[in-house]
Amino acid sequence: MASGRLSLTDTVRVGASGLLARPLRSVLSALGIAIGIAAVVSVLGISASSQAALIAQLDRLGTNLLQVQAGQTFGGTSSSLPLTAEPMIGRIGPVQTVSSVASLTANAFRNSYIPAGQTNGIQVKAARINLLDALAGSMAEGSFLTAATENYPVVVLGATTAQRLGFDHWISGSMVDIGGTQYAVAGIMQPMPLAPDIDRSALIGYPQAQNALGADGSATTVYVRTTPEQVDAVGSVLANTVNPANPNEVQVSQPSDALEARIATNDAFNSLFLGLGAVALLVGGVGIANVMVISVLERRSEIGLRRALGATRGNIRSQFLSEALLLAGAGGIAGVVLGMLITFGYSATRGTDLVVPLSAVAGGIAIALALGAIAGLYPAIRAARLAPTDALRSV
Amino acid sequence: MSTVASEPAAATASADRSVMELRDVRKTYPGPVEVLHGINLSIVVGERLAIVGPSGSGKSTMLHLMGTLDQPTTGQVLIDGVDVSSLSDRELSRFRARTLGFVFQQFYLLDGVSAVDNVANGLLYSGVSLAKRRALAAAGLERVGLGHRLHQPPAKLSGGERQRVAIARALLARPAIVLADEPTGSLDTQSGADVLALLRELNSDGTTVIVITHDPQVAAAMDRQVVIRDGVIVSDTTVGGG
Ligand SMILES: Nc1ncnc2c1ncn2[C@@H]1O[C@H](COP(=O)(O)OP(=O)(O)O)[C@@H](O)[C@H]1O
Ligand SMILES: [Mg+2]
Repeated sequence: MASGRLSLTDTVRVGASGLLARPLRSVLSALGIAIGIAAVVSVLGISASSQAALIAQLDRLGTNLLQVQAGQTFGGTSSSLPLTAEPMIGRIGPVQTVSSVASLTANAFRNSYIPAGQTNGIQVKAARINLLDALAGSMAEGSFLTAATENYPVVVLGATTAQRLGFDHWISGSMVDIGGTQYAVAGIMQPMPLAPDIDRSALIGYPQAQNALGADGSATTVYVRTTPEQVDAVGSVLANTVNPANPNEVQVSQPSDALEARIATNDAFNSLFLGLGAVALLVGGVGIANVMVISVLERRSEIGLRRALGATRGNIRSQFLSEALLLAGAGGIAGVVLGMLITFGYSATRGTDLVVPLSAVAGGIAIALALGAIAGLYPAIRAARLAPTDALRSV
Repeated sequence: MSTVASEPAAATASADRSVMELRDVRKTYPGPVEVLHGINLSIVVGERLAIVGPSGSGKSTMLHLMGTLDQPTTGQVLIDGVDVSSLSDRELSRFRARTLGFVFQQFYLLDGVSAVDNVANGLLYSGVSLAKRRALAAAGLERVGLGHRLHQPPAKLSGGERQRVAIARALLARPAIVLADEPTGSLDTQSGADVLALLRELNSDGTTVIVITHDPQVAAAMDRQVVIRDGVIVSDTTVGGG
């Protein structure tokens, strides 16, 4: 923009004094941009913060867990894996940990007076004592099954199971009825993001399941931890290892895929909010253009005076453009601050780390300035085109 | 008292001394209406001149042409011997910034800006730093007797004070020519007299003062009176000595 002999600081000062002369109007017209930028920054900030939390969770849980299940039979019931499955998998070189659960037909109740139909969706399963290691899980209260307790009527409850059975807190000596026998509750587990079905289970030891509930000792789901580099290689041989005769009856999956999918789902949700932010920005831009057009009409005599004082057309254009840019820039900065506060509030309540992507901050201000330039251009050109005499004649 | 015929020959004869010269200037507004019908006028450096005539006679139109705010439909406006029609927007702007000072009936002060900063705007478009502009503006306000009102906004000043602020602004760049359009038109008699006295004083620096007015009494305060009626100069009178 050709601005005669006017320095940048003078141009900015002239623009700022024009805005400060009408403070309420300036604040209101910057508000639209501020809201739009706040929406964009907070959406990006919140999603970055929650994604960071998901990624941290994924890092903690590891992506090197594989899950092996027997495929569905024609009847639709899930069959058991061969008894040899676990020892065979254990022989694969890169495998670090093998654990398993076996679904049982028994149900668990808080006491023996509950009607048999009210299972609450709780599944009773036999579990290996190293299950927590394999699933990177932990106990909320009490302890898991041990080499000693797996032989006795002792049960460990999943997080959801504990709620459904009414155990707000675990008290030593609590009992659960499984298949007509009282089981001592050893503890309650934390939720298991890698195996959500464990949350809805009550786990007892394999030996106890075989002794008391007639289980055959075969697993329905085997969990396999491998060295991180060999996950895919192990995954591709698992089916053949478990059931060489019918490898396609074996389902192999990677539970961390579900978590990764949640990170991606977040993106889709974000685009909706970003779209709303874009609409707010558009409205803000139109608002600034509107205010600038009115301003040019109202300030004709000021324009005429400035031309009489020696302002070139370029000076006038720069003045109104700088007003629009300052409005939008102030709106942008206010929006970024507001967006960061919203993100901070969100991550404080969720207990996640605060992550405000620099690209959202820089992008927010850049978008605001670009909008200001676009919104201010037409009014600025109109102001510059005004003939000095016409501008001075209006009273 | 002498009456000078305003014809091109007379104007050319004094061209070496004339700071402002109009040669057969006509102005037609869309309509079309011709409001100036061939004005010839030569103004000498340091003159105090009034252009006087009834409302609608074309005085403001003339001031706009002399101030390079508008261009004649035909004819020429020469300032310091330069035909302004040959200049670009930038060159004209530089001319207005350095050579011309304007005073208007409506003052045209910026509302949200203190008196001293309003005056400082007189050098805004001349490439002078803010600190220097403010220092000169404070001195300029002192000179028009408003040294004690530097930081007042225009809304807190009387009409006469506002016009003195506007005069200080017009003078800040030390222009060769001051053009005033009905400078006393919005003022009471006493303030008007003060403003006129101020404009007369300028002349001691050699500044050329051109005052436009419909009021013969105001015109009488100047040394030379050019009377205009319906776009034609009807008389041009100089009172020697002033
Ligand atoms: N921009 C314009 N368009 C059309 N007519 C105009 C314009 N400016 C002034 N006029 C007309 O020209 C005539 C002279 O106006 P002006 O120069 O303002 O006279 P004065 O200042 O002597 O009162 C008036 O009749 C006015 O209506
Ligand atoms: Mg007039």
